[in-house]
Amino acid sequence: MANFILRKAEPKDVSDILRLIKELAKFEEMEDQVILTEKDLLEDGFGDHPFYHCIVAEVPKQHQSADGHVIVGFAMYYFTYDPWIGKLLYLEDFYVMKEYRGFGIGSEILKKLSETAVRTRCSSMHFIVAEWNKPSIDFYKRRGASDLSLEEGWRLFKIDKQNLLKMTSEE
Amino acid sequence: MKITIRPAKPEDCKDIERMIMELAVYEKMPDQVKISHKELERDGFGPNPFYQCLVAEVPEEHMSKDGQTKVGYALFFYTYSTWKGRTVYMEDLYVMPEYRGKGIGKALMATVAKVAKEKHCVRLQLSVLDWNKPSLDFYLAKGAEDLTAKEGWHFLRFHGIALDNLAQEAP
Repeated sequence: MANFILRKAEPKDVSDILRLIKELAKFEEMEDQVILTEKDLLEDGFGDHPFYHCIVAEVPKQHQSADGHVIVGFAMYYFTYDPWIGKLLYLEDFYVMKEYRGFGIGSEILKKLSETAVRTRCSSMHFIVAEWNKPSIDFYKRRGASDLSLEEGWRLFKIDKQNLLKMTSEE
Repeated sequence: MKITIRPAKPEDCKDIERMIMELAVYEKMPDQVKISHKELERDGFGPNPFYQCLVAEVPEEHMSKDGQTKVGYALFFYTYSTWKGRTVYMEDLYVMPEYRGKGIGKALMATVAKVAKEKHCVRLQLSVLDWNKPSLDFYLAKGAEDLTAKEGWHFLRFHGIALDNLAQEAP
């Protein structure tokens, strides 16, 4: 099996995108943290103000998965801004179903994303990886990625809704 | 002292550029600043802005030793979590040393939180350098959680030549 296409996600793909998001979250051992719904994905990706862009990998029907799926991989990204270097492409999620690995789908997706980054004048493509996720870290490092947390000491923080609301009332 | 927190205008970009450099010097990476007010003007204003910016302004009678009235800024943008949905990422938060301890940082953050709430964002994310204790303490006091420590997330990037190589890689 070598036949696959990469294309821009369409509204009809949200059900598959959510399925793949949950599969990836399961791999990251955090599946109970996915609270996003198909309705959110539709509104947030295909409405007046898209919060994300998505590419999907599709195989022909004769190569559908054991569960009958033809959308077998995806990448979700958006544009961010670094006040030092300008526009960046931020890769939020990147996943290929286990049974479709080793056919170059992941590499092709990454290549397409980097082409998009260069074409849209982004100086860099950023993303995060969990430090225990050795296969992914090796995949990226083999292709020239550098670890800014190790090299420069950056740590990621979050402030959740409850604490955000507390801040607005302190204004 | 009356402090105004307001959305940045194109004419603020020279001051924002000045403060970006001051923050980069504090973060010990001034040579990494490659863009100027021209890119900030092009990328932050218009029909498709890549970032949002708030400016903290003081009245003329309280101008700084160097004659500045714009004394702080917060630069942020919208991102997307495939688990939780709409998120705000606060890229830079800075107040000139002469104006610290007056609640300006707190007011800037509260305004970012207010914008996040209005746009139905469920979370605010940011990154801090591991040696930057004053900032770490400031954010922890507001309920921030260190996801690098807690969940092992590392920042990675494909930058410059690494990005070009990836874009040109044969499938």
